[in-house]
Amino acid sequence: MKNIINIGIPSKGRLRKDVLNIFKKKKLKLVSERGERDLIGSIKNKSNIKILYLHAREIIQRLGDGSLDIGFSGFDLLKEGEINIQKKINLVKKYEFGKATLVVAIPDPWIDVQTVADLEEIAFEFRDKKKKKLRVATKYPNLTKEFLFSKGVTQFQLVESLGATEAYPFTGSANLITDISSTGETIKSNNLRILKDGEILKSQACIFTSKKNFKKKGLKALVKLLTK
Amino acid sequence: MKSKNLSEKILKSVKGKGFKYIELPSVIETNHIVQRSGENFRKFIFSFIDQNGNELCLRPDLTIVSCLRYLESNLRGKEKIFYSGQAFRKSQNRKDSIIRNQIGFEIIGSKDEKNDDKEIINTSLNSLKNLKYTSGTLTLGNVEIFKLLISKLDIPTRWKLRLSRHFWREDYFNDLLKRLETNSDVDPTIVEIDKKRYLKMLKGDKNSIVAERSIEEILKRFDKKIKDPRRPSKGRNVSKIIKEFLKIKCPINKAADVLNKFFKKYQINLVVDQRYFPTSVNRTSKLNVVFSTSFGRQLEYYTGMVFKIDIKLNNKIKNIINGGRYDQLISDLGSKKQISAVGAALNLNY
Repeated sequence: MKNIINIGIPSKGRLRKDVLNIFKKKKLKLVSERGERDLIGSIKNKSNIKILYLHAREIIQRLGDGSLDIGFSGFDLLKEGEINIQKKINLVKKYEFGKATLVVAIPDPWIDVQTVADLEEIAFEFRDKKKKKLRVATKYPNLTKEFLFSKGVTQFQLVESLGATEAYPFTGSANLITDISSTGETIKSNNLRILKDGEILKSQACIFTSKKNFKKKGLKALVKLLTK
Repeated sequence: MKSKNLSEKILKSVKGKGFKYIELPSVIETNHIVQRSGENFRKFIFSFIDQNGNELCLRPDLTIVSCLRYLESNLRGKEKIFYSGQAFRKSQNRKDSIIRNQIGFEIIGSKDEKNDDKEIINTSLNSLKNLKYTSGTLTLGNVEIFKLLISKLDIPTRWKLRLSRHFWREDYFNDLLKRLETNSDVDPTIVEIDKKRYLKMLKGDKNSIVAERSIEEILKRFDKKIKDPRRPSKGRNVSKIIKEFLKIKCPINKAADVLNKFFKKYQINLVVDQRYFPTSVNRTSKLNVVFSTSFGRQLEYYTGMVFKIDIKLNNKIKNIINGGRYDQLISDLGSKKQISAVGAALNLNY
């Protein structure tokens, strides 16, 4: 068990497809005993490698605690992680796929709000006139908090979202959102608008390793092969 | 923690000035802190959820706890209080202790503000007598003068509010000045596009609500914003005045004179009297007394006089006392009327 290399691959979505392509290109054949929905797999003729199909967020967590040796996930999810987790992970390579941007988006009819500076004023209006906090729905509470504070918005409350964040401003759950967007289409089609200076972080798919297990036999060679 | 003996001596000298000892709770509702200092302040506090689902935290600061006590006990009138204890705060500097031992003293609810400022400074100086140091500096600032200056400048109201709100956050404040110089918060192209929507929305139902803001509210602010044109040269000039103002640093007895010359030079209709400052003595005990316009930015809640005392101990400069006036704090915590407050905290972790 000691010398088994554990690799985390996103269990669904576009990211999974693109990561699987890397293995295909390197002629590494992924095998799953129970078919495509199997969450554990291996590589043909490589008995020392175990594949685990996990949520992209969990891949970061498992790299942090050392139960994964190699993991594929998004740069955004690394940066959103707690600092003690980030410190335990090496970013080996950024790939040219999975590109997206974490942005601040407001309801499109808020035509008086163009920039984060406007938002700062609105936040104080909410506090002083409505006696409420401006509520920001997000799946990225840490990055959102840091960004808004750095831009002067201090009076707000975070609403942690688990999905369909774009709907939050129109269901009374929040006033605005931050979300990851690749083309901006989903945001636009949900009657939201990205602020002019509302870019929080540019993200893309990455390969990471756990610092703890970097000396494992065969790991360096495998990472080299996957990043060439 | 310094010796118990020293701490007791300081407490005794504060008590000798007529202050009443009070005990403060160690745990408070996180909301009180986050509402004051913003969500980002969470990274400095030790918070947890109790069995009823309330978010609580270890007190990161004794002043807020003391003001909460005044408010929640429905106290009225003047109170001169002092307390000692630990404040708990995370720090990005690993060498800093997370536990800060402090002695604090405050005058709350008094109407004699100028004399109270003096009394807090004198009590601070008196406490210092218990410490062995060779020299030091008492630095005085005044947030109120800064706010008065901003109110007299030729910039839109929203910019006045913005600059006043963020005086205490130096890096962001400097970003704001840069933006003021370039006028980059109003994009003429986008304004033109949105103007068409504005005219369309004017004809629609102004009472309808979008994410808790009424269309009327949105249109009103939009209208106000586009009627606020400002040439970049004007912004640059205002930014220059602010930057020059924040460079003023002089012996305290020259403070009024230097400020008045500055106001005259930039044709700002303001005059300050030397009596405005809690002292005019350039040297007291072993301390040089200086006035600095940029001082007072470390905490959001200061509203008037602010000061700090740094002393030289074993050839190292140590910050030992910080204090100031925070007349808005109790009303920000929930009081219906404004209650004056001034105080200082002596740091025992030096």
